[in-house]
Amino acid sequence: MIGPTTTRRSLGAIAALVSGAALLSAAGPGPDLTAEHPAEETDAESQERFVGMAPYRGYLEAHAGVEEPPRLAGGPVEMSVSQRSGGVHVALPAQRELDPDVFGTPELPRAFGGTPGINGLPPGGRNASGGQWTTSKSMTPFGDEAVVMGNGRLKLEATDVSAVDAASSEDEVTFRASWEDEAGNTYAVECCQMLATRGVEYPTFGGVVTNHILHGSSRIGTALMPTEFTYLAFWGMGRVLKNGEVQQAPRLVHGMLTEYVRGEGYELTGDAGVTPTRKHFHLMVPPMMPDREEGRFHHSNVETGFTLPNDKPLPFWHVMFGNVDIQSTRGG
Amino acid sequence: MVGNGRRIVSGGLKSAAALVGAAALIAAAWTSGTVQEATATVEMTNRLTFTSDSVVIGVGETVEFRNTSALVHTVTGDPSRSSLDASVHLPEGAEPFHSGRMKPGETFSHTFESTGTYRYFCVPHEGAKMHGVVVVRDREDMRE
Repeated sequence: MIGPTTTRRSLGAIAALVSGAALLSAAGPGPDLTAEHPAEETDAESQERFVGMAPYRGYLEAHAGVEEPPRLAGGPVEMSVSQRSGGVHVALPAQRELDPDVFGTPELPRAFGGTPGINGLPPGGRNASGGQWTTSKSMTPFGDEAVVMGNGRLKLEATDVSAVDAASSEDEVTFRASWEDEAGNTYAVECCQMLATRGVEYPTFGGVVTNHILHGSSRIGTALMPTEFTYLAFWGMGRVLKNGEVQQAPRLVHGMLTEYVRGEGYELTGDAGVTPTRKHFHLMVPPMMPDREEGRFHHSNVETGFTLPNDKPLPFWHVMFGNVDIQSTRGG
Repeated sequence: MVGNGRRIVSGGLKSAAALVGAAALIAAAWTSGTVQEATATVEMTNRLTFTSDSVVIGVGETVEFRNTSALVHTVTGDPSRSSLDASVHLPEGAEPFHSGRMKPGETFSHTFESTGTYRYFCVPHEGAKMHGVVVVRDREDMRE
């Protein structure tokens, strides 16, 4: 097997950047966005205020109690996505360049509500220069740093039946993905013991959604990913394995087949850099866990079992599969 | 040939085979291992690059492409398989070529029969701008 190769800088350099601590969670408070912002507000109170501003709260409230969700117009969509050979790109912690099309400007910020990183990003969590946002202050799973690992395998079977968020769903997902490091360790993620029939801060459409815009300005999922057309996505609770042993369960697992959102040097593009005519599959096990009672996410590192050269654990999986075969049918 | 990888040949071999009998030539080539001597070698990397992003060869000469990465790549000089205008350019009259998916360790050779500039790309990484160029000159010009 061919060993990992970072796409832009050495693993050692990346490791030096990783504190191992507050990925995403150190977004911090934001500046005064309203005249009513109390001067005595603490950082924690300020952050809570932004979490409470997740834009889909009303929509989710309207759908939470739906017992029999409407079905998709035109009938169910069945899709299978697989990769049988070749490696994968595994994202490493890095700051995310902030796209003005998504995040606005310091003068007119956008995409600030919701749990930092997994939904919006408070202005206080952003670096700025010359009247523009530049990067996230914290390391994220959505930067330009990645390592290649070998023997990537992916098998996803999904059925999208239910159209909207609801208390129940007819959607179905069977998912397994695996890859190997240069030492021969095999990492895997399986899903879904339970589908997210309704979202916590943004919609999940019954657990599976097809042919929809996600991320970026859609505010469905993290705004740190570009706005991208998504042929298939799912959210559910699954498990993380290493060498066949369960490392952690349950964990939130999100997968999606989208248009291509990487550019030269495998950098994560902004909205204007997306290639609509190519597709790839993303797997995300975020360092966050949903709290349905509070209607938000809390920081929780993933026990990936993968260690960076500075002995810090990689606290999330964000893995891209580029050699995929896709099949789909509609209305069956 | 790299490792235990599959070897794929196109271009000049295909043209020659048409002249002297495809089956016999291909069989001879595979058994003798003397398919077409490569005059240039280009590797395909984990960094989504072709190691020599521009090579110069004489007409009728062969370039061997080696997938030394852990990823699946292609060598594609076929406009019908590209989705971006900048991905492919072929000299007038040149035949399109495509390696198919090359697993880690596999090689692909192509013989360039027309002079001019060929721009090719990798299908899975077209969006990441994985491109290369082969410039083919008359052999007379190469001696100057």
